[in-house]
Amino acid sequence: MGARSVRTGASAVEEEMTQLARPGLPVTRRRHSTTWAGIAFAAPLLAYLGLFYAYPLGENIAMSLQRFDRGTFVHGGAPFVGFDIYREVVGDAKFWRVVAQTGSFTLVSIICQYSIGLALAVFFHRGGFRLSTVLRGMFLVPWLLPVIVSGTVWQWMMNPDNGVLNSALGVFGAGPVWWLNSHNALMSVTIANIWLGVPFNLVILYSGLQNIPADLYAAASIDGAGAWQQFWRITMPLLRPVSIITVLLGLVYTLKVVDIIWIMTMGAGTSQTLATWSYGMAFGKGASTVIRYSQASAVGTILLVVALVFGLVYLALQRRGED
Amino acid sequence: MRKTMNHVWRIAVAASLCVSVTACSGNSTPSPSGSGDASRGATTSEIRFWDPYPQHAAGSAWDTHVKSCAPAGSTIVRSSAPQTDLFNQLTTAVKEGNPPDIVSLDNPMMPEAAASGLLATAGQAGIDTSGVDENLLGPGIVDGVAYGVPFGSNALGLYYNKAILDQAGIDPASITSWDALNSALEKVVAAGAKGITFSGVTGEEGVFQFLPWFWGAGASLSDLASDEAVSAGQLVSDWVGHGFAPKSVVTDNQSAAYDLFLTGEYAFAENGSWFAAAAAAADFETGVIPIPSKAGGVAPVPTGGEFAVAPVQTTDASDHYANAAAVIACLTSGNAAMVTSETLGYLSARPKTRAEQVAANPVWAPWVASVEGAEGRTTELGAQYVEVSGQLSQAIQGALNAAGDAAAVRTAFTDAAGI
Repeated sequence: MGARSVRTGASAVEEEMTQLARPGLPVTRRRHSTTWAGIAFAAPLLAYLGLFYAYPLGENIAMSLQRFDRGTFVHGGAPFVGFDIYREVVGDAKFWRVVAQTGSFTLVSIICQYSIGLALAVFFHRGGFRLSTVLRGMFLVPWLLPVIVSGTVWQWMMNPDNGVLNSALGVFGAGPVWWLNSHNALMSVTIANIWLGVPFNLVILYSGLQNIPADLYAAASIDGAGAWQQFWRITMPLLRPVSIITVLLGLVYTLKVVDIIWIMTMGAGTSQTLATWSYGMAFGKGASTVIRYSQASAVGTILLVVALVFGLVYLALQRRGED
Repeated sequence: MRKTMNHVWRIAVAASLCVSVTACSGNSTPSPSGSGDASRGATTSEIRFWDPYPQHAAGSAWDTHVKSCAPAGSTIVRSSAPQTDLFNQLTTAVKEGNPPDIVSLDNPMMPEAAASGLLATAGQAGIDTSGVDENLLGPGIVDGVAYGVPFGSNALGLYYNKAILDQAGIDPASITSWDALNSALEKVVAAGAKGITFSGVTGEEGVFQFLPWFWGAGASLSDLASDEAVSAGQLVSDWVGHGFAPKSVVTDNQSAAYDLFLTGEYAFAENGSWFAAAAAAADFETGVIPIPSKAGGVAPVPTGGEFAVAPVQTTDASDHYANAAAVIACLTSGNAAMVTSETLGYLSARPKTRAEQVAANPVWAPWVASVEGAEGRTTELGAQYVEVSGQLSQAIQGALNAAGDAAAVRTAFTDAAGI
C-alpha cells in the first residue's frame, strides 16, 4: 500500500513536470524531442572535437601519405604515395638513433623527475621544517618560468668555457665538461628537463600524500614499524593511483618536448628526438633547412601512436583501479 | 517549447554546416596566377609590408622610413617575423589567397620561393632591377626571370680588436692567408688574449658564416666531400681544438658571437657588415679586414641581405602589384635608397648609390671589396641549395665537435647526407 502510494506520488510529480514543461503533450513525444535536445546540446562539443581534433589529425595523416613540397602545399597536386614516406623516414640512417635518444630522454627524465619529486613531497609532507612553505613555493619556480628563460639560462650555465656549472665542477677538482657538444647534448637537455619536471611531480605527489590518513601512520608506529617500513608499506601502496597518473602524464608530456631542447641545442647531435626532428622538418628549421611537410607529418604520426599507446595503458590502469 | 527546440537544433546544424564550409574553403587552393600587372592597377588605402627585422620595432628608424614610403592616400601596415617564420607565413598566406603586398625575403630563399610559385615576376609587379650588380641580383633570377630587387647587401668580414693585435705585435694588413691568420691567433692566445668568435650554429646562419672558409679553400657546393671542403672544416675545427675559438661556437648565433667579441677579450670576430656601426661605437678600437682565402687573397663571401618581392595575388592582383611597385620604387631608388641602406646597415646594391654611401660614411670603405666580390649562395645550385645547406650544416657541426680530430672532420664531411 505504502509502495503503491509512493509510485502514484512519483507519477504525479512526473505528470506535473510534464505539464510544466509542455502543457498538453503526450509523454512519448516529449521523450523523442529530449533525444534531439540532447544531440543539440552535444553538438557544440562534437563540432569542437571534429574541428580541432579529428580534422587536423586527419589532415596530418593525409599529409604523410602524399609527397608535399612548398609548391604543392600552396597550389595543390601533391602525389599520393601510400606509405612511401614512412618507409623513407624509418629507413633513414638516423631514425633508430633518434628513437633511442627519444626513449632515453623520456625514461631518464621520468624516473628522475618522479624520484626527486617524491623525495621532496615526502620531506615537505613530514613537516617540522620551518621554511617548508617558502621552500615549497621556491620549488615551483621552474614550472612558472617561461621555458625560453629557463632554456637560455641553462644554455648559459652550461657554457663550456666560462659557464657556472664548469666553475662549480672546477671547485671540486673536476675538469670542464663540454655540455652541449654533439655527444653530451642529450645528457644536458635531460638534466634541464628533469629540473623543469620536478615541480609538477612534487605538487601532484604532495597532494596525494595529504589524502593518506594520518591514523594509518600512527597505527603502524604503534605496531613498531620504522620510517622506512611505513614508506614502503603505507605511502607507496596508497600513493599508487596518483603515481600512475603522474608517471603516465609525464611520459606523454616528455615524449613531445620540443621547447627546452630547441632553445638549448636546436636538436643538434644526440639531443635530436622524434619531436624536435618533426618540428625542424615541418618548419624548415635547424638542421632541416628544407621544409619537409610529409616527413614531418609521418614522424608526428609515429609519435602520436606511441603517445596513444601510453594513453590506452593509462585508461586500462584507471579502469582496473576503479574495479 | 518544441518549436524552440527545433529552432535550437536548426541553428546548431546551420552553425556546424558553416563551420565545415569554412573548413573546406580553407582547403581550396588558388592556382598560380599569371595575370595582374602593376601598370593597370591603382594603389589601395592599406598596404601590407612584411619584413624579417623584428629588432626594428614600431617607431624605430626603419619602421618610420618604410611608412614614409606610402603613396598618397595609403598607409603601410608593417609586420615582422624571423626569416624562416616569415617564409613559412608567406607560404601559408599565398595558399590562402591573402598575402601581403610586399615582402622582404632573405636572398637564399628566392629560388625556392620562385619555383614554388609564391612570387610575382619583377615585370608584373613593376619592380625596377636596372643598375643592380649582377652578383647581388643573381639569387633573385630564376630561369632567366627576375623576381625582385635586393634592398641592399651585407657581407662578412673579420673584425679585430686593435689593442690586442698591437700588444701581440701583429699588423692586421699582413693577414691575407689562413697561415697568417693561424699564426696571428697563436700569437694573441700566447699573449693571454682569446682568439676568434664566429657562429657555427645549426642551420643556415652557421652555413653562411662557414662559406667564406669553404669557398676560400676552393671547395664547391656540388661536392661537400672534396679535400678542399674538408680542409675548411679542419680549419675551424682546429680553432676549437687549440682553444682559439670558444666551444660555444656550436650553439652561438651571429649576435651571440658578436656579443662575445664586444667583451673585448677576443682578438678577432667573423661577422657581418650590419654590425659595422656598433663596432665603431665599441669601448675599444676596432677595425675590419676582408676574410683571407687559404692560399692568400680575399675569400669570396656569400651575399647577404633581403630581396623586395611581391607575392602572387589572386584577387585584385593589379592593385596589389601597383602597391608593391610604388613602395619598392620609393625604398630602393633616389634619396630614400640611401636611407634604406644606412638604416639596415647594408651597402646599396647599386654601385652609384654605394659610392655616395661610402663617401658619406667612411665606416663602409673596408666592406666595398667584399660586397663586390660576394657570391650568391644559390648561384651554383638554385633551389637545390637549401638541401645542400642542411647537409653542410651537419658537416660543420660534426667538424666543430671534433675539436681538431682530423679523421672525425673528414667523416663529418663525407657522411653529410640524409634528412
